[in-house]
Amino acid sequence: LTFFFLWVCTMQHVEALEVLLQGLSGVPKERVRVHELCLKSVPMLGAVPSEVRLLCDLAQPTPSWTIRHVGGAMRGAGAEQISILVRTIVESKASSNVLRYFYGIGYKLDHEILKVGFAFRFQRGAQFTVTVTSANKMPKLHATDEAVQVTPGIQLVEITAPAAANNYNDVVSAVTSFCEYLAPLLHLSKPGNSTGIVPTAGAAAASLMSSGGAKTL
Amino acid sequence: MDAAAAPGAAAGGQQQQQPAPPRAERLNGEVQSQLNLEGMRARAVGLYKAISRILEDFDAIARVNPSGSPKWQDVLGQFSMVSMELFNIVEDIKKVNKGFVVYPRNVNAENAAILPVMLSSKLLPEMEVEETTKREQLLSGITNLPVPSQMEKLKARIDMIANACETAERVIAECRKTHGLGARQGANLGPMLDKAQAAKIQEQESLLRAAVNYGEGLRVSGDQRQMHSSLPSHLMEVLATGDGAHNFGDNSGAYPKNTPAFSPNNVNAQGNPMQASGGQLLGRSAPSPGTAGTPNFENVSTPPMPYANSPRSGTNMMNTPSPQQHLTPQQQRQKLMQASQQQQQQLRPSAAGMLAQSSVPQLQDLQGQAQQKVAGQQQMQYSQAQALSQFQNRQMQAARMQPGMSQSQLNQGNQLRSHLGQFTGAANSAMFTAAQASSNSQMMANIPGTMQTMQSQSMMPQMQFGLTGGHPQRSHQMMTDQMYGMGGANTTSMMGMQMQQQQQQQQQGLYGNMQGGGQSLQQQGMVGLQNQQQNQMQGGGQSLQQQGMVGLQNQQQNQMQNQMQNQMQNQLQNQMPNPNFSQQRQQNQQ
Repeated sequence: LTFFFLWVCTMQHVEALEVLLQGLSGVPKERVRVHELCLKSVPMLGAVPSEVRLLCDLAQPTPSWTIRHVGGAMRGAGAEQISILVRTIVESKASSNVLRYFYGIGYKLDHEILKVGFAFRFQRGAQFTVTVTSANKMPKLHATDEAVQVTPGIQLVEITAPAAANNYNDVVSAVTSFCEYLAPLLHLSKPGNSTGIVPTAGAAAASLMSSGGAKTL
Repeated sequence: MDAAAAPGAAAGGQQQQQPAPPRAERLNGEVQSQLNLEGMRARAVGLYKAISRILEDFDAIARVNPSGSPKWQDVLGQFSMVSMELFNIVEDIKKVNKGFVVYPRNVNAENAAILPVMLSSKLLPEMEVEETTKREQLLSGITNLPVPSQMEKLKARIDMIANACETAERVIAECRKTHGLGARQGANLGPMLDKAQAAKIQEQESLLRAAVNYGEGLRVSGDQRQMHSSLPSHLMEVLATGDGAHNFGDNSGAYPKNTPAFSPNNVNAQGNPMQASGGQLLGRSAPSPGTAGTPNFENVSTPPMPYANSPRSGTNMMNTPSPQQHLTPQQQRQKLMQASQQQQQQLRPSAAGMLAQSSVPQLQDLQGQAQQKVAGQQQMQYSQAQALSQFQNRQMQAARMQPGMSQSQLNQGNQLRSHLGQFTGAANSAMFTAAQASSNSQMMANIPGTMQTMQSQSMMPQMQFGLTGGHPQRSHQMMTDQMYGMGGANTTSMMGMQMQQQQQQQQQGLYGNMQGGGQSLQQQGMVGLQNQQQNQMQGGGQSLQQQGMVGLQNQQQNQMQNQMQNQMQNQLQNQMPNPNFSQQRQQNQQ
């Protein structure tokens, strides 16, 4: 499975963004609370360090674990032209023993992060998942209750969509056009590049909020 | 819409006027000059068409592309156009409102009631209040002056406000121009960020990206990686034994336990550390701290354990050591039988004694005694057949009809069964009755679950005896072959006992029917006793309408009556011709 990623940073206009996304997607938002543990293999396990991320979804009454392996990104001239990052991701659900398991086979905890926010999943030419979260770090190990924001006031907006090798062009265009809708509020960019703020973000946010929420017509 | 109504009314008015040629009136000259009715009508119709066209467009878009939506710009443009047109129409009509009267054309049942309200020009009460308050506000300072000067002052105010609005609008328009925004956007412009702020934001952004993508700034040094004392719930079972490398083999079997919600009852009951329900399982396979609590397992096989810890058990100990209680009640019963009934309380150091005390007159003490007894009993009969205890437990669970009482009675009965063999039936029955009396309805309310457990156990056997003839149904849950066998075995002794008791009871006039009485008990506790038991308890089918416990209660009460001295007359009513009855019963049992 290939996933597209577009990463973004937004300023405080999270509520406005939520309103906008709600209007664009037409689905109710889902709470997101994910404890992400990034494990790295020790050097002796291979020439190349490998990294795997364990995501524990804490939003549900029963925590569920997912293993995610992030592969290399698409490179080359074509990748440069596309405004979206395309890379390979493998995800799998796992039991709660997964952490033990990885510890057992030699992985060590590299860092952990707690992401709290909301997400929208909808179909709009592609299966979109837009996640708006604030990244929190934990002062003490695994202390999810004591997490503080890494960058207070700034949240991360991720737009991802799965694609196969043969249709990713369509998905690219779908994602790009969707991002245009968000243009008044935020700039999206590839993960490696920084975006800055959109000058009109304030006005756009204000107009979104003042009208009591954008209603999809 | 007012605009629609007004043209409609106007048009209607005109139409009505026209068809009545004899009274053909022309619109008032003034009105006509000011109001071009035809033109007005044309405009209204045009507006109506525009609006419907726009709505159709929306529908079309929605149909074609379910998730699509018209462009904001277009929509806003059209909307403004439409609203402007409407505004103009309304304005024109307002000029000539005085010339027209609204004449409702379409009066039917539903709007007949509301029409007067709608047509009235009197303000609603709350609107009136509003208006007066506002008026007062406005004229607060100048009501004393003559009216013309009031008017002047108001005018001045209005002018001031108008000027302020004008300047504000000018400012807004300028800002819009400078920012390149169309005239349609909201007037609310965020402040432009200066360089320093922008730079800060940039820096934060890169921090965030680095943190999320690469984990920068999130790495914790080694010493800080001590395992936190309180792990979040989703990590509890996963990391019960701490961070670091664990052998996979530690997990005895792969328990796909995603849920930390392992049955908390078990965890607590067993005293396992709360850390990990997984730890609990681990504890079985590997020594883990939680196993300390598992002595319970020895006593009772695992399946009943959940039951043992079921809501009934405020006290784990109470449930599991039920087998322990066997001896005590039996022993005590024997003593009780021999001693005067009044002394029954004293005779029963253990739970059985508790039972005695629990007899009617001493319900107050019951709890205390019961608790004592229970404690005593716990220690005792550990050695009792575990099968029996298990059975009791099961019965406890099975016969969970009434909170505590019935079950406890049952359990006690179970326990007592084993004792029955040892002790005379009479003794047992006496014990039972006493126990029953105690644990009977009155007890019910007071007795904590454990106590009841104790008592019920002692009561069980009695019940069996008592119910012999009558109600196999009743205690079928509880009755087992053992019980019957025991009952049979103890027939004679029981008989003897009963005889004695009966005699005693008779002396006091408190004769209760031991066994038979129980059967006809329709409720637990006293009430049931009251009703029937007057010599109706015959071995035959006594309809014990409640659990055997009830029957037991009756029996107990009968026996207890000697002591009771009429304190609880209700209980005294089980009076039976015991000898025959008991014989019958026992025979039936056999």
